[in-house]
Amino acid sequence: MSAVASAKIVTPSVPGFVRRWFSKSRLAAFGFAAPLVVYLLLFYVSPLVQNVSMSLHRYTRRTFVTGDAPFTGLDVYREVLSSSEFWVTLGQTLVFVFASIVVQYALGLALAVFFNQSFRLSGFLRGIFLVPWLLPPMVSGTTWQWMMDADNGILNRFLGLFGVDPVWWLQADNSLWAVIIANIWLGIPFNLVILYSGLQNINGDLYEAASIDGCNGWQRFWRITFPLLRPVTLITLMLGFVYTLKTVDIIWLMTQGTGTSQTLATWAYALAFAKGSHMTIQYSEASVIGTILILVALAFAFVYLWAQRKEEEA
Amino acid sequence: MRHRPTWWKTVIAVVLTMVMLFPMYWMVNISFTQRRSIRSADLWPRDFTLANYGSVFRTQLPYLGTSLLIAFSVVLVTLVVALPAAYSISFLDFAGARSMNFVLILAQMIPAVVMSLGFYSLFNDLGLLDSIPGLILADSTLSIPFAVILQTAFMQTMPKSLIEAAKIDGASNWRIFTQIVIPLSRNTIVTTSLFAFLWAWSDFMFASTLNPGGGKLRPITMGIYDFISANNEEWGPLMATAVLASVPTAVLLLVAQKYVAAGVTAGAIKD
Amino acid sequence: MTFNNTRKVVAAISTLAICGSLAACGSSNSAADDKNLVFLDGYPQYDENSAWAKVVQKCAPEGYTVERQLQDETMNPLTTAVKEDNAPDIAMIDNPTLPSAVDAGMVVDLEAAGVKTDGFNEGIIDTGKVDGVQYGISYGINTLGLYYKPDILEKAGVDPASITDWDSLNAAIEKVVNAGYKGITFSGIATEEGVFQYLPWFWGAGGDLSKPDSQAAQDARDLLAGWVSKGWAPKSSTTNNQSAAWDVFMSEDYAFAENGSWQAQSATEKGYEVIAIPSKDGGNSAPVPFGGEFLVLPYHKTANDAKQKAAAEFVNCMTGENLLEVAESIGYLAPKDDVLEQQLKDQTYLADWAESASSAQGRTTELGLKYESISSGLSQKLQDALNQK
Repeated sequence: MSAVASAKIVTPSVPGFVRRWFSKSRLAAFGFAAPLVVYLLLFYVSPLVQNVSMSLHRYTRRTFVTGDAPFTGLDVYREVLSSSEFWVTLGQTLVFVFASIVVQYALGLALAVFFNQSFRLSGFLRGIFLVPWLLPPMVSGTTWQWMMDADNGILNRFLGLFGVDPVWWLQADNSLWAVIIANIWLGIPFNLVILYSGLQNINGDLYEAASIDGCNGWQRFWRITFPLLRPVTLITLMLGFVYTLKTVDIIWLMTQGTGTSQTLATWAYALAFAKGSHMTIQYSEASVIGTILILVALAFAFVYLWAQRKEEEA
Repeated sequence: MRHRPTWWKTVIAVVLTMVMLFPMYWMVNISFTQRRSIRSADLWPRDFTLANYGSVFRTQLPYLGTSLLIAFSVVLVTLVVALPAAYSISFLDFAGARSMNFVLILAQMIPAVVMSLGFYSLFNDLGLLDSIPGLILADSTLSIPFAVILQTAFMQTMPKSLIEAAKIDGASNWRIFTQIVIPLSRNTIVTTSLFAFLWAWSDFMFASTLNPGGGKLRPITMGIYDFISANNEEWGPLMATAVLASVPTAVLLLVAQKYVAAGVTAGAIKD
Repeated sequence: MTFNNTRKVVAAISTLAICGSLAACGSSNSAADDKNLVFLDGYPQYDENSAWAKVVQKCAPEGYTVERQLQDETMNPLTTAVKEDNAPDIAMIDNPTLPSAVDAGMVVDLEAAGVKTDGFNEGIIDTGKVDGVQYGISYGINTLGLYYKPDILEKAGVDPASITDWDSLNAAIEKVVNAGYKGITFSGIATEEGVFQYLPWFWGAGGDLSKPDSQAAQDARDLLAGWVSKGWAPKSSTTNNQSAAWDVFMSEDYAFAENGSWQAQSATEKGYEVIAIPSKDGGNSAPVPFGGEFLVLPYHKTANDAKQKAAAEFVNCMTGENLLEVAESIGYLAPKDDVLEQQLKDQTYLADWAESASSAQGRTTELGLKYESISSGLSQKLQDALNQK
């Protein structure tokens, strides 16, 4: 490795701190991490810088093409933050994200516990459970839209069997819950995979011991499974949060982000590409929302790291 | 309790699976239905046709090939970047190790819209627009942060003594990495590969912004758009394409799933 | 911006890295003797064996090849491409987006580039002008009408000829519904498509796009929202695009559908017929919007006159000697009267459309760039109304 070769050049005459910085192990460490560092600098820094830059200038379609967008400082931030649409959308986004991840997690965990028992076909069925993940969003989004059709959808027909009146799922006031349901469906396989593997790692002897101590299934779950699963829970919720916050396609395909189903991510998408009811391109506003999304995620990342540290201390 | 019959669990599992797979079933159902009836919500393809598949086999197979090529290459790029980095963070004196986790979480957070707008200029400067390598690099941004987080978490559970012993025996880092760490990470590697594959497979945002070129070099997520025009959408053939595209990935998933279970396990739990 | 410089440095470094690792870099096509015309084509549904693709290839100028770049939405890719000086040589854009493209300096004056604009239907050629300059040229148009199923109308005892204004239309729908059938489908989706379908009712009530808050706008909304609330139109009208609205019309016992001339062929095959959309108080039928795409010549920061000349030649071929073939290949109505006459002989199912097509109105003709925001406002209000808010 070149890192090793160059390390030989370092001689004792070099000042101590330089030597420490260029020590053989440091260089090796850097050598191994170099592809990642270069990769991050290349592919993440540039879009990030561009996004922030666009949020500080007034970009329209014209100034985007000509490149002479006037610098506006925080004006666009002020405009976005002072609009009532922003706060409404933020609220809807939080409902979307938290309702989605809580239910996804709960269902994913219940399924993981269930499939963790051995019965005929358990492995095969668990594998099949992941298949919905393969569908292009285009297909799953549209299928959900059809299933939730108010007049003729299969979901309303099913509810009709129990005497429930047809629900207008995609109507403005209901659409947030409609897209949450579809998104939960979409997220279950991911939660199931990670939580199931977490369960696999729990030592079976603990259950044996508990069962001798006379614990029933419910107690075993809350006293053994759930606490031991906490690190896996953390990583599942963190990743779930990140992916849900970014979700555009399933919402867009079902409702075009109309009514209560508009989230920060779909709003940014509509503004950046002049989609839906937003026929004028608004790059700067989209970038502001993009930056806010990143800040929200940042806040959550702190929470995650704090929880992780607490977990390690415990 | 172990000796009690478990057939009823199988029944419940089958029912749950059916509920979960219902939207998939709907896709298959529509793919066999004539256009005039796709909205009538029949539980089975009452207005049956095979015509949707006819046109798909003719036109969509090359796209499927492109998608497979891209997805496998993304897996490769992801592993090449993520594995050594995880090794460095876990076992070597890497200066930024602590903040790396944080940076990686942040990196995953950048919305795809932002990424794709940024990539267009970058790729144009690099001459990577409209090229398969370009799309591979872009798609790999979906999985690399995740892969590093997972691999690092796993490697930190490996007994340090194993590495120390090898070092005392005079093994180079490269040797330790390739001969000890990688073989031990096999399951995690399969898991991350699977995630990388699936994300690359289903990407549409990058494909549409960075690879607009015509011809047969488009991935299947773009090929699907062949059935959608400004005024008219052909859902039958589109669903047939989706069914066709699901087959190779479904097989892959079933083969990989036993490793997946073992893989994430070790990765997520830190001692 | 300093940001651009940073990016170039980053770009240079990464070129090295990527070229080294993937051997991905071919020679970039900077050469002046480049003989490949790139055509940003919004019709991914037509593969290389289609009539459309064939006529596109046929129009490649002597010594040039034409490469189709397929996107179902062309305006955004074109914007980024022009910004990065990577624009295609010819592009297709949806007609109401033209003022925005002109405002951003993305397209050039067609006549100055050598595109011929004579022989066109006057109303249609003018829709491609912004401030008197021809930036976009039509190779075919489509528009909206009111399809119906004659068998259902007959069983319900409705005479299609009686439908001359909104009241008689409502009466007809009510009669059909009372006879056990369903009413009407239309697209009320929260996109430009929904506005496109709303405009005939808006204009038919005497609406004027420069006054989007008028009573006419409200009347048109009330009409459509009323259909939904009475159950005459499906609730999915709020999310159906035009294709979906057509599928619903075909799948179920709907008697009427507001839809486009592009469905004429499949409608004729199924025995559906079409009438013009009635205006509120009768008399003339409602004005309908002009639909379809324009060919444009994108702006290149680094000019290449020879290529632009070739591109203009391509456009002349598509809108000139091959216009008939072009229009017939996609089922749009030819924008030249003499060509249209021939087309109606070949494609008789389009016969009912000739009149409304020649009187179709441009959405942006009077408003130009302002149309975008007015359309956005109409779309949001329509969406609220249909959702019964």
